[in-house]
Amino acid sequence: MTLLEERPQEHPEPSERALMEIIPGPRPHGLVKYITSTDHKQIGLNYLVTSFIGFLFAGLLAEGIRTQLIVPNNHFVTENVYNQLFTMHGTIMLFVFLGPFAFAGLGNYLVPLMIGAPDMAFPRFNSLSYWLYLGGFLLMSAGFLTNNGAANFGWFGYAPLTEAIHSPGPGADLWIIGVGLTGLSGIFTAVNIITTIFTLRAPGMVMFRMPIFVWNQMVTMFLLLLAFPVLTSAFALLWIDRHLGGHFFDQNDGGQPILWQNLFWFFGHPEVYILALPYFGIVTEVLATMSKKPVFGYKGMIGATLSIGALSMGVWAHHMYTTGAVLLPFFAAMSLLIAVPTGIKFFNWIGTMWRGTITLNTAVLFCLGFLVMFLFGGITGVILAQPVLDFQLHNTYFIVAHFHYVMFGGSAFAAFAGIYYWYPKMTGRLLSEKLGKLSFTVMFIGFNLCFFPQHDLGLRGMPRRIETYSAHMGWNFLNMLSSIGAYIAGVGVLITVCNLFVSYRKGEIAGDNPWDGQTLEWACSSPPPDHNFEALPPIRSERPLWDANHPDQLTKVGH
Amino acid sequence: MELATRLPGTDLGSPHGVTTQDKYVHELWTVSYLFSVPIGLLVLGLILWCVFRYRDKGDGSGGGPGGGRTPAQFQYHIPLEAAYTIIPLVIVAILFGFLYSAENHVDSISKTPAIKITVEGFQWGWRFDYPNGHKQVGTVANELDINSEQNLPVLVIPDNETVQLHVVSLDVVHTFYVPEFLFQRDLIPGIDNTFDINPTTPGIYPGQCNNICGEYHAYMRFLVDVMPPSEFNTWYSQQAPNSITTAGEPQS
Repeated sequence: MTLLEERPQEHPEPSERALMEIIPGPRPHGLVKYITSTDHKQIGLNYLVTSFIGFLFAGLLAEGIRTQLIVPNNHFVTENVYNQLFTMHGTIMLFVFLGPFAFAGLGNYLVPLMIGAPDMAFPRFNSLSYWLYLGGFLLMSAGFLTNNGAANFGWFGYAPLTEAIHSPGPGADLWIIGVGLTGLSGIFTAVNIITTIFTLRAPGMVMFRMPIFVWNQMVTMFLLLLAFPVLTSAFALLWIDRHLGGHFFDQNDGGQPILWQNLFWFFGHPEVYILALPYFGIVTEVLATMSKKPVFGYKGMIGATLSIGALSMGVWAHHMYTTGAVLLPFFAAMSLLIAVPTGIKFFNWIGTMWRGTITLNTAVLFCLGFLVMFLFGGITGVILAQPVLDFQLHNTYFIVAHFHYVMFGGSAFAAFAGIYYWYPKMTGRLLSEKLGKLSFTVMFIGFNLCFFPQHDLGLRGMPRRIETYSAHMGWNFLNMLSSIGAYIAGVGVLITVCNLFVSYRKGEIAGDNPWDGQTLEWACSSPPPDHNFEALPPIRSERPLWDANHPDQLTKVGH
Repeated sequence: MELATRLPGTDLGSPHGVTTQDKYVHELWTVSYLFSVPIGLLVLGLILWCVFRYRDKGDGSGGGPGGGRTPAQFQYHIPLEAAYTIIPLVIVAILFGFLYSAENHVDSISKTPAIKITVEGFQWGWRFDYPNGHKQVGTVANELDINSEQNLPVLVIPDNETVQLHVVSLDVVHTFYVPEFLFQRDLIPGIDNTFDINPTTPGIYPGQCNNICGEYHAYMRFLVDVMPPSEFNTWYSQQAPNSITTAGEPQS
């Protein structure tokens, strides 16, 4: 009863903020908040920080790879350790960093804010997703602590190399369980975000007024729901093969190794777009805000996202051209077609900047880096989509160069743009522009020095995943260049890491809306309070905050 | 058998192809360059133009013609959007036509090849089985070190003839890959893969497994010796039926 008597007898103003203040007791903070919170912003931050740690760890593994390859016949690491390095580099980058950073980290933090919702639809379910994800990350990395080391068969683990007879030891098992858990966590997040978008939009926020970032998140989440269950099943089958005497992928007992490739890439290609679409969303939001203009071709942009999502379900076998077991013309046609909606996006981004007033800050620089390098990666993608050219280039360093231009030069640069753009919202302080521009410059130079020569290495026939090479093959100089570039890019990343720490304490106070933002996340304080909004501006277009701040320049609606 | 320093000259980075396939690969590269370089330059140019022309110069003069801090808020231009949807569709259709015909040529299999050889890959080495039962074998166990091309298994084939290769894996997935052939094909347990090679230039070319196959993947290498037909016939007649030549070991 004393508890009840201590409650204020008279209710203050019935705004959201006041409702929060009458809940008694101290608010958790620090470690307790990290562990117990079900707030979408805290969980989003958990994802962002964890996945960025994954990025730094996998980046360190990459520096190990490049150190081993810097000269021919090098003995920096053994064959087995080298195989672990590239396997875990790929696995962690894709399953721990690039995917979860965007669809779980930024998705959690921003989707409810952008649609004017107080939280996610299932907050505790959301917390469960994070802990499954963290468990997956720790388990797959724990392979390094076992006596045989971590998984060592490449991130797409082609059967039958992954069978117990060829890859014994707990490293491979930890890899299976770890990836499986991150997959489950992804499915949970997808259910949560789709439900949130469908049911918790603020009054006035119809589907065609949602920011492009939210649209892209939604399509990504549907891809996740289609792709990840296939991955999880394939991993379950592999586990049965390894431990319960199954023969799904074991040719000697009537299984089919090619089945693994089909299952894996049926997940694996939508996965590539799961790793790209949210980043397209980031670039769209940053370019529109920083150009002080609406997104050019908003509805065309949504159509492009939807068609990329649809096409991406039908191109998986372009990873399997050289198997001789797939229908080449069909998959070649589908793969080429994806270039069309991607091209539409490029022209819409250009249209967004056209005649705008572009603030050339670090976030925009990273977006421009994204545009230039993703363009290049897209063009090499069209080359690789042609089976006859893929027969020449498949699994060579040309492929390695291509997907790093897409995934690192593209998606990861967009991730950095997102960090510089939304850090003020999350912490209340701006990142240092000086360090940011320096970081961008160093990363851009390092990245291109690292990966551009790899196109030529691939044309000259250097296979990926080889631990060392002969000095007579004509690959020495290009490998040297590439390794030096990798070190430079690493330094560039570390500058941003320093920036994150320094600006957290000493950064300039951002205020609620430092960029003259257009979407609702900039309408609440920085960082946003629990349950987000005290009041919302009227939502009459896809730029409610712009309309509120620029009544003379209203977004035209009803087009 | 030692390689001289390889690849002094290349075709835009690629090795000179040494089979009839070179023609089709070259054609596709040319078509790809013709489309992708102008499109790439156009898009890149537009991006850079936007950045230089419309950047906020800090004097309130941004926003293109007319100036002013807040630019015009235009958002749609249907004819333009339709154009950059339809034109790429046409380009993709043209590209598909080229790749479809090239692919048919490359994937076609002759009914009357000059010789059929079975290529077997295993952890970690190669075995080349000739019709008379002769086998050319080599494993990493006999490889001196990565910088030496001695003791590698040698696939001997005739020039100017159709050589049909049937590739088989004995354990995990491997890939038969010779950069100078501009071609590779996977060896997958449970999948029968056959393809034709029509060499046009005699010489010795390096090849290697191109799919991660375990610890010594990098050492799973071989050489292809393309001999003029007469020389090949002499070599072949010297190989006793069912004999085995193991690289790095005295001939049995």
